[in-house]
Amino acid sequence: MRNIFIFILRYHVLITFIIFEILTFSMLIHSNFYNSSRFLSSSNFFIGKSVNYFNNFQQYFFLKDINEILIEENSSLKNKLNLKLKKNNLNQKTEYIEANVIKNSTSLKRNYITINKGSIHGIEPGMGVCNHKGVVGIIRDISSNFSTIISILNTKSLISTRINNTNHFGELVWNGISREFAQLNSIEKYVDIAIGDSLFTNSYSNIFPEDILIGTINRFSISNEDNFYDIEVNLCVDFSNIYNVYVIKNNLKNEREKLESGTYEK
Amino acid sequence: MKNSLEHILRFISLVLIQIFVLNSIQISGYLYPNIYILFIMLLPAKFPKFLVLCLGLLLGIIIDAFTDSYGTHSSATVLISYLRPKILSLVSIKGGEDLENISMKHLKYERFFTYSGIICFIHHFTLFYLEAFRVSELFESLWRALMSSILTLILIFILELSRSKYIKI
Repeated sequence: MRNIFIFILRYHVLITFIIFEILTFSMLIHSNFYNSSRFLSSSNFFIGKSVNYFNNFQQYFFLKDINEILIEENSSLKNKLNLKLKKNNLNQKTEYIEANVIKNSTSLKRNYITINKGSIHGIEPGMGVCNHKGVVGIIRDISSNFSTIISILNTKSLISTRINNTNHFGELVWNGISREFAQLNSIEKYVDIAIGDSLFTNSYSNIFPEDILIGTINRFSISNEDNFYDIEVNLCVDFSNIYNVYVIKNNLKNEREKLESGTYEK
Repeated sequence: MKNSLEHILRFISLVLIQIFVLNSIQISGYLYPNIYILFIMLLPAKFPKFLVLCLGLLLGIIIDAFTDSYGTHSSATVLISYLRPKILSLVSIKGGEDLENISMKHLKYERFFTYSGIICFIHHFTLFYLEAFRVSELFESLWRALMSSILTLILIFILELSRSKYIKI
């Protein structure tokens, strides 16, 4: 017994070092493999509040830019409203919840965005997020007042897309290099694509409604290793400049999930 | 007493600078300076190693919570807190025991930058490699660590220069 104490006393620095490293690694691995709630993130109440205070102060410098964006957006919304009225489409499948970005990053490999709306505003994990230009990301964690978003600029993000001209679908991922470009996988070689083709979301998953713009094809090449194109997509959202975003709430989600789970069981 | 107050103030101000200034201005994917490790570097050499590790963990977890990085910053900071005495013995014969304070003024430029450069590089490399979490990204992580370390060292140089000018120790 005495020897154990002497041993611990002598190597206490090394032992604490190993314990701390195990602790931090378990945090890291846990966040990599599980989507469970994490108490230390900017959707946490205290951290969210302090980030919000600083952001309020910071936003004064960008008021002019924000105004311009809002005007631009207003006009595009009016146009859409006119189109809607013409089509006389009254079926309200999706709702948009408006939110402000209070924290954002683009320089990391795994970029997350924090917004100032949470579960009390009706946000749930897994909802899609877009802004007036196009797709931003998918909700990951929520607290009562804040939520965090996995942005497209995250090596773990994956979004199902559709090429406008051919209607083929592919998976949009990000390789972590440039904040302007993402990569499109799973488009087979026989598909006829061209530079400048636009990519939209599809409704295969429940996350996004049909036809939200993601970006345009910037460059593509045929890879020698497999049967797919290597496609580089020019993202239409400027991630270093997002303030107002819309969280997309799909009102028919439960109905569809129920139907689909029933189908797959049989 | 005066010294410990200085360290507490440095802890708070470096965390604030890191979170609200450096993490807000996004320069490029390759340049991600982490100035907050200056706190660990400047702790007195005689400070108990156990407490250095605890402070390293605390500091890392605070930064992790604000950047949503879940453990990468804290494991890198704990690592440099552990390696600090060993690196210190590279620049000083008695392992830093003869130094009252660690600063650019006491160590002079050459020794101070060897010390802070090694710590900076180890920290950034661990951080980026853990963040990538993929074996194949070794060389890219090395390159990013090198670029970011250089920027961090420039910032540390500016901070240390202004400190030695206005506060006569």
